Amino acid sequence: MSELVCKGITKRYKDKEALRDVNLTLESGKIYGLIGRNGAGKTTLLSILTAQNPATAGTVTLDGEPVWENRHALDQLCFSRELNIAGNSGVAGIKIKEYLKAASLYYPKWDQNLADRLIKAFKIEPKKAMGKVNKGMLSAVTITVALASKAAFTFLDEPVAGLDVIAREFFYKTLVEEYTETGRTFVISTHIIEEAAAVFEEVIILKDGALICMENTEALLERAVRVNGLAADVDAVTAGLACHHSEQIGRSKTVTVLPREGETLPDSRDVTVQPVSLQQLFVALCGEEGMG
Amino acid sequence: MKELLNEEKSIYLQICDRIETDILRGVLLEGERVPSTNELARLYTINPATAAKGLGILVDRGILYKKRGLGMFVADGAAEAIRLRRKQEFMEVKLRELLVEASSLGITTGELIAMLTGGDEDV
Repeated sequence: MSELVCKGITKRYKDKEALRDVNLTLESGKIYGLIGRNGAGKTTLLSILTAQNPATAGTVTLDGEPVWENRHALDQLCFSRELNIAGNSGVAGIKIKEYLKAASLYYPKWDQNLADRLIKAFKIEPKKAMGKVNKGMLSAVTITVALASKAAFTFLDEPVAGLDVIAREFFYKTLVEEYTETGRTFVISTHIIEEAAAVFEEVIILKDGALICMENTEALLERAVRVNGLAADVDAVTAGLACHHSEQIGRSKTVTVLPREGETLPDSRDVTVQPVSLQQLFVALCGEEGMG
Repeated sequence: MKELLNEEKSIYLQICDRIETDILRGVLLEGERVPSTNELARLYTINPATAAKGLGILVDRGILYKKRGLGMFVADGAAEAIRLRRKQEFMEVKLRELLVEASSLGITTGELIAMLTGGDEDV
């Protein structure tokens, strides 16, 4: 069983701390979901985990070996970045088939049959230049690279960003298929949380450069609840518990409660207790005052 | 078997419910193989660990049993066991909720009995 361990990762850009003391261990054979608001540090974290970007402090190791400038470790990692081709950036002029060819040479376990199948399913036009196709096709290209790389640890940054709902469903189905056949580890960042939540065995939440949660998705959602009722009753029931995102309208109050280890919500008939979805929990944990 | 999953309940519990309902409806027969963890994962686009948890609960309940290397099968008497458990759940959970709701609305036991024995033809 391989593991990718990230210890004390901090990343500072000129005027901004993008990541602050992030510690996490990715075990092989799991699908992880990485969620966070724009600017929370998701892409920075993924690029550091795959040694495409140096950390200011901290270490990333694969089975004890540092990944930085380590060909053996890098052969097992794939980070298929979101392609943002604004204006005349580096890859805008090259054809899709050339980009895929380069990927096939870079990744030692490249599966051309799988790549061909995905090109067909996504209706990718390999002869077109990267700068001349829409966002959906660029997403399809990044997905093709990620899946066909067959890398043991594969990282996808916003893979579904440009895809329509049919293509998104196809992507998650294909991902689950690939996962059930190979047991590869996937880390997937997304803003469209609801449709991906059931695929994530564990969820990693970043907020303002800090890791605020990393837990089994089902276990997390079994702990979290939304409590609504007369404000005084809600306060009485939730006293001492970790409450987030409290909203009050007149006498009615709603809070999201995420009990800590060993804490439970007392039984009460005075308030309504409802389960929350991962998206609702995320909003409760990461929503800003004045924006909810 | 394939119906959309919702967010009201943990997914592994919904997987249990679906399989049990399929057994009650005769979609899955006693002695027959049920979909594997990976088949369920692909069918519903869910994590295989979640599907495995659902199947594990049905094994614990004696609804399914494992045949080494072959998969999971519906146990003899599974349909009857499911019916019994659901009946019990109806009494202990749903009926109780109904009684609590009735009492909070001031509906008397007499009124409830009248409703239950009123010969409502639609039910």
